[in-house]
Amino acid sequence: MLRDRSPVHGLERRRLGAPDVLAQSVSGAAPSAAMAATPVIVAASAGGATVWSFVVATVLALLIASCIARFTRRMAAPGGLYPLTAKGLAPGAALACGIALLTGYGLLAAAALAGVASYADALLSRVGATDGRWVPAAVAVLVGGGVAVLALHGVRLAARVVLLVESVAITVLVVVFALLLAGGPIPGPGSGEPAAGPGGVVAGVLPALAAFIGFEIATTLGAEARRPFRTVPRAVGITAAVAGVLYLFAAHVQVVGFADTPGGLAGQSEPVLVLATTRGWSWVPVVLDLGLIMSFFACALATTSALVRVLFSLSRDGVAPAALGRTHRRFHTPHVALAVAVPVVVAALVVPVAAGLPLGGVLVTLLTLATSGFLVAYLLVCVAAPVFLRRIGELTWPAVAASAVIAPILVAALVAFLVSRPVSALVLAGVGVLGVGWWAGLRTRRPAVLAGIGVYDETVAADVAGRRVASDTGGSRVGDATGSGAATDLEGHRDAVGRRTPGRGSGR
Amino acid sequence: MTGPAPLSGRQPKAVRSALAVLEEVVAAGPGVTAKEISAALKLPQATTYRLLNLLVAEEYLVRLPDLKGFELGRRAARLALPVVTTPPTAARAVVDHLRGLVRWGVHLASFRTGQVVLVDPDPDHPPSDGALLARYPQVSALGRLLLAEQPDWHALVREERSFTEHTIPAAGLGAVLEQVTGLGLARQCGELRPDRGCLAVPIRAPGDRSLVAGLAIAGPPHRIAEPNTEIVALLEDHAERLAPLLA
Repeated sequence: MLRDRSPVHGLERRRLGAPDVLAQSVSGAAPSAAMAATPVIVAASAGGATVWSFVVATVLALLIASCIARFTRRMAAPGGLYPLTAKGLAPGAALACGIALLTGYGLLAAAALAGVASYADALLSRVGATDGRWVPAAVAVLVGGGVAVLALHGVRLAARVVLLVESVAITVLVVVFALLLAGGPIPGPGSGEPAAGPGGVVAGVLPALAAFIGFEIATTLGAEARRPFRTVPRAVGITAAVAGVLYLFAAHVQVVGFADTPGGLAGQSEPVLVLATTRGWSWVPVVLDLGLIMSFFACALATTSALVRVLFSLSRDGVAPAALGRTHRRFHTPHVALAVAVPVVVAALVVPVAAGLPLGGVLVTLLTLATSGFLVAYLLVCVAAPVFLRRIGELTWPAVAASAVIAPILVAALVAFLVSRPVSALVLAGVGVLGVGWWAGLRTRRPAVLAGIGVYDETVAADVAGRRVASDTGGSRVGDATGSGAATDLEGHRDAVGRRTPGRGSGR
Repeated sequence: MTGPAPLSGRQPKAVRSALAVLEEVVAAGPGVTAKEISAALKLPQATTYRLLNLLVAEEYLVRLPDLKGFELGRRAARLALPVVTTPPTAARAVVDHLRGLVRWGVHLASFRTGQVVLVDPDPDHPPSDGALLARYPQVSALGRLLLAEQPDWHALVREERSFTEHTIPAAGLGAVLEQVTGLGLARQCGELRPDRGCLAVPIRAPGDRSLVAGLAIAGPPHRIAEPNTEIVALLEDHAERLAPLLA
């Protein structure tokens, strides 16, 4: 009943330390970028209640993290949220979650590339070295290639790069915002933010929640993390908390900055730049652009790693082509999935930009579409959590309560989101139709494969006490199988060589 | 936060309960569920689940593939003192025979406990401290035999330590272990003690070829570094003879 090797063999199992896993999740949420961009979007809906909208959104993100942790304390899966959903809900729901994740990670990666291209474009335009179309497109292609190379060369390298880049970006943003806060409100005739009631808070929660998407990326590193049942839930929870604090800080700085300006923060379009230039700090925009380029780059790398692991997992489940489930012999990364996914991600950005659409608009559209994918995935995993706990006989009332609170809110958020953005609704409906087709095809032709969806890093024989060195029970446990337990192709090869030994020994 | 509350020395009850949970998993056998443990120990369910998740996170316990049942994890094996069994007289006679043929120290180690345990050290050429060998398998030839057999050898290398200037750092160990598997022979030259080197060959069960023990010969490092074709042949010959006696 215990397998000799994990069904997700080929990845570098149990090697990634806690800081690396946390960095991936933080980069997925890309808090630095959201600190600069989101408060003004929230203020447009929430007005004076901007900060409260972020408080509510942070609580919601923590609730989602708690639902995800019900699973990640008990299982580790490179497929992220969809194998978790599979343990609670029907296979169709798990497949839907998988499609939502592919949509979410794919478009978020494209949006992050768009972010890099957009801020690089802003930097270059200061020296007049860009045309706003082909130059950013070329930047996106180059950065996409760089992301692919880093993601290929082992999960640890990618994680280290992400950790370094994101730490620098967050530090830069926090320092700039602290300076802006110390400066106090910029002078104006007074009045400031229009008052907003509870309705404003609710309206602001949705864009504030969108600033958190990607915070669950650590779940895709389950198989590769050391002590995953501790590391992964913590990484997701800490990311939600840290991002929440950063957003509250950023929102507070910007609300205070425009306290004496008619219309307040909601009346601005580029609040951080206005705050800086009013004080004559011309260096701030340059530093911000650099910080945001780094943050978006880390986000692109983290989401690409997550995207290819979801593809890898779907392939190991048998629902996606088998080639996508292959891993690189030396780097232990899903290299085929990378080769397929990265060009698609880059094209999702470069094609519209090359066609002449404005870069900023493309970035916003990609983010919006990605958000709808994430909302669907969060909803499914939150509904699945208590069902899963009931199945394994470990249901507690806080688990039920968390899902009972968060699920209706996510449904409402999703509906509000799609109603207000008909283009997103259309695209999502299109993806939904394709997904139903995929599901129907699997159901008629390969029902057993569909029923077994949700591959995860199971406990293998080598993980259990007393089975590390095969005992003298003879044929039931084969020594050669133990030798190839980590089961990379490499060790299979090693084994074949190892078998020469007895022959040579007895020949003497 | 989302993680379970950490245990501290100030929570004797929690520590006691955690140990009781471990004990119950051993007593009830593989596949026992959280509900059963909670009932058997009369612990509140939420407490039991939290303790179980903590023990699973620390890898003292593992969840079986149905995610309901529990079994002792690999790390729990370290809680028990390795049981050292004296090898049978016939096996010791084979080792003594080899000692009569060479001038260097000949040692026999068992890997049954998942550690290097010297079961027949050479009385005339005392080997390095047994605790040291068990603790740093990466620097001894016998330990490398054990590591090369692991699906993930990192799990057994707990701390890196440079004993001499020749000690190979952990980063280079992967290649060394590949070589050990390829040749069926492990070697270290002055990596643990500057004046000592060691050659070791695996002893495998005749039935399933699983690694049960290792036979080593220890001598001056510059001599150990030589090909030593004759000595290796002797070692392999005696290892072959020991296999049916030890497995």
